[in-house]
Parts: sequence; C-alpha cells; structure tokens
Amino acid sequence: MTTMTTVSARGTVQVENLTQIHRSGERTTHALDNISFTIPAGKFVSVVGPSGCGKSSLLMLLVGLAQSTSGELRVAGRPVAGPDPARIGVVFQEANLFPWLTARKNVEFPLMIRNMSVKERETKARDALELVGLDEFGDRYPHELSGGMRQRVSIARGIVQDPDVLMMDEPFAALDEQTRMVMGDELLRIWERTGKTVVFVTHSLTEAIYLSDHVLVLSARPGRIIDRIDIDLPRPRTFELTSSAEFIQIRNRIWEQIRTA
Amino acid sequence: MVCPTAKTTRRIIVLILLACWELLPRLGVIPSLFLPPLTLTAAALFSEFSVYWQHLLVTLQEVGAALFFACGGGILCGMLLGSSTRLRRLLLPVVSSAYAIPLVVLYPLFTAWFGIGMQSKVVFASVYGFLPTLLGAAAGIQTIDRSLMMTARSMGASPVQQIRYVLLPATMPTVLSSLRIGGALVIVGVVVSEMLTSTAGIGFLISRYRTMLDSPRVFAAILLVLMLAILFDLLVQFAERRFTGWKKNVPAKTFP
Repeated sequence: MTTMTTVSARGTVQVENLTQIHRSGERTTHALDNISFTIPAGKFVSVVGPSGCGKSSLLMLLVGLAQSTSGELRVAGRPVAGPDPARIGVVFQEANLFPWLTARKNVEFPLMIRNMSVKERETKARDALELVGLDEFGDRYPHELSGGMRQRVSIARGIVQDPDVLMMDEPFAALDEQTRMVMGDELLRIWERTGKTVVFVTHSLTEAIYLSDHVLVLSARPGRIIDRIDIDLPRPRTFELTSSAEFIQIRNRIWEQIRTA
Repeated sequence: MVCPTAKTTRRIIVLILLACWELLPRLGVIPSLFLPPLTLTAAALFSEFSVYWQHLLVTLQEVGAALFFACGGGILCGMLLGSSTRLRRLLLPVVSSAYAIPLVVLYPLFTAWFGIGMQSKVVFASVYGFLPTLLGAAAGIQTIDRSLMMTARSMGASPVQQIRYVLLPATMPTVLSSLRIGGALVIVGVVVSEMLTSTAGIGFLISRYRTMLDSPRVFAAILLVLMLAILFDLLVQFAERRFTGWKKNVPAKTFP
C-alpha cells in the first residue's frame, strides 16, 4: 500500500491555492490568484492564457525559482522549496546553453555540479543526447547548432537526471513554424518513451491542443484557472488532426475564453 | 596568376617596410640622423646589449607592477561598477569625465610625490591604464546573458558554483579585452614617464641617446619598446584562443 502511494506520487504535480503578489517598491502586481490543480503522473498538460497572465510566473514557482506569496506546491508528493533538478527538469524559452561548452558538456553540466563521476556523467549525457537524436553532435558548440538542435540539447539537459517532471516555458516560441512542428512531434516521442509528466507553458493554442492530455486556461492578470479541458483526441497525433472539426472546436472554445478573460 | 593570401601580403608589406628602412637612408633619400639604416640600428642594439637589457629589466618590472594595479584593479572595479545599477548611476559619469583628463600633464606632480625612481612610473602608468580598463570591464560585464545564471540556478548550482562555472567563463572575454586595452596603455605610460624624468628604463635610454643625437641607439631602444608591445599582444591573443575560443564565429546577437 505504501509503495503504491509512492509510485503513484512520482510525477504528480499538486498545486493548492497558489497566490503570488510581486512587490517592487511602490508597485504591487497581483500575478496569480488562488490557483489549484492536480496533474496525475505521466500526463502532458499545457498552460495557456492571454499574454501577461502570469503563465511564466506560474512556471517559475513550479520549478522553484520563485517563492509564492501563499499556497502550496508539491511535486512527486514533496513540497518544492527551491530548484531540484533530480525531481524537476526545466526547459526555458531560449535554449540558454553555455556557449563555452560543447553540447555534451552542456548536458553534463547539472551532473557536474552534483560532483558525479566523469564516467557516469558521460554515460548519462550520451543517453540523453541519443534520446533527443543528437548523439552525433555532442562535440559541437551551441553556435554550431541550429535553433531546433539547441533546444533539443536543452531538453536533453533537462532530463539527463531522469526527473519525475519536465517543466517547459514556451520552449519552442523562439523557433520558426516548421521547426516548431517537428519539435512538437519530437517532444511527444520523448514523452512517450520516458513516461514523464510534462507541464508545458505556451501561447500557441494549436500547440497546446496538439500535444496535451489536458489544457489549463488561465485568465488575464491576476491569473486564475478558468477552465480545464480534457483533450480526448487519439494518439499518436498527426498533423491532419489539427484541421479536424473536433480540434477546431476545442481551439475555438479556448480562444473564446481567452478573448473574454 | 595566383593571388597571395592575406597572410602572405602582410608579410610582403613588412618586408618592404624593412627594406625601405635599410635602403632609404643608404641611398641618401633620408638623412641617417633622422632614420639610421636597419643594420646600423641592429648593430647598436647588439653592441650595447647589456645596457639595453639592464634598462629593459627596469621597464619590465615597472610594466609588470603597473599591469597588476591597472588591470587587476580596473577589471575588479569595472565588474563591481558594471553589475550594480546604483553604483553605475553614481560613479560612471564621474569616471567617464575623469577619463577625459590628459594625465600626462599631471606627471610632474607624480614625480614630486613619488620621486623620479620606479614608484612614480608605476603609479603613473597604473593610473593611466586604470580608467580605460575599468570602463571596458564595466561595459563588458553588462553584456553577460543573465539568463545563463538563472539556468544554472534552476539546475541546482550553488552561488559559488554559479560564479565558478558561469560567471567566470562568461566574463573571460571581457577580462581579456580589458587586459589588452589596459596593457597597451600601461606600456605607453611607463615609457613616456621614463622619457620625461627618470634615471633608468628604455624610455630613459631613448631620451638620453636622443640628446646625444645618437640615432641608431635611439631607434634600437624604440625597436625594443615595439617588440615589448607586440609580445604583450601575442600573449593576450594566446590567452584569447585558449580561454575564449568558443566566442569565435559566435553571432553577436546571441552572445554579445
């Protein structure tokens, strides 16, 4: 029974009454207002909302880079007190690779700062690069890689420690549309192979619906959850799906909510 | 016809200049008092080598000490200034204005305060190289991509690890380019102050031989200063290749 709870807790994300108010000098910004949701382990969940609704604030809280004003946040059953890459992998909008390190060394970085042995580091980095399809490019420097490849390295770096959850903050927003679609399929493939929970912040409704099991819709600032939509479209998903009646219906529904939010 | 590469062309230009140096005075186009032939200059350098060496050592010591203060202090202060908005607002206008002061005119004061020995040269050259180094470092540190620090933090890096593995490598290009600016100025500062008032050093030799109208020896000393500057530049270039090779070909947009 106990083992059952721990197993099912791995990868769950629980958010209860999360509120965040930024104070800088005289100005106060109410970023997030009383947000609650639970993401079961292994699900792919997107967060969408109008620009400036606090999507990124929410993600900064989820990965432990910011402190909430009140409320509780648990990942894998334990509260999040700060960055914890063994539990929570992060991928940002920009790949944010260290330009002085090769792709492989970038992927090894989180292992290096944990003082993992060189041998173990190399094995794990190789596996992670292979998973994102870049095993041939480990010795390249970031500026020698395309935007899509850089973001793949960033994903490899995010999952190299085999975290329970992968948190992604508009990871494909800086890419061109074609690369973006390729990366979406690539991410689904990685997700299906690893079975990790993915929290995916995006401003693209198509992307959110195409990738996710559930879509959380945030309101304009202060961000509140105004809808949670289950996407029951069959997997594996294909490009044609995005023009199906069902897909368009869901997209219209979300757009209506965001527009009036 | 095969077009010579840039490197070959550069070498050809240097060779032509050296040939002119030798031939123009020999042919009487330029009086050898104004420009002694290359061979005479080299002969002066070799025949008096022990004298030159002795004075070169003095100059080197002064340059070394001044480099330490100008670049060490300049880079450190520049980074502090560059990374704090408040300090920058407060001090940068002052520093920029101070930069416009022609320091050479203050040199007599330096000799009055520190004597005509090595101290006054070291102090003058340190001050001379300090401000530009500081300004360079302050500007450089501002171009560092702050999201890299956040990324390291998101991967659980401690503050010490963030400095060691992110801030240091990221600031390396700035440090080296500041060193290049500061180093060149320090050499100028030392040699000029030696030329003005001193008892030793290459600049002192230039001054002394000039008053004796001994052109080959003046040029030999100048040659040494040039070689010193080139050597310093080669050292910085080597360090740049070693530590910031990754920056080569990096588009400025992505990594300023």
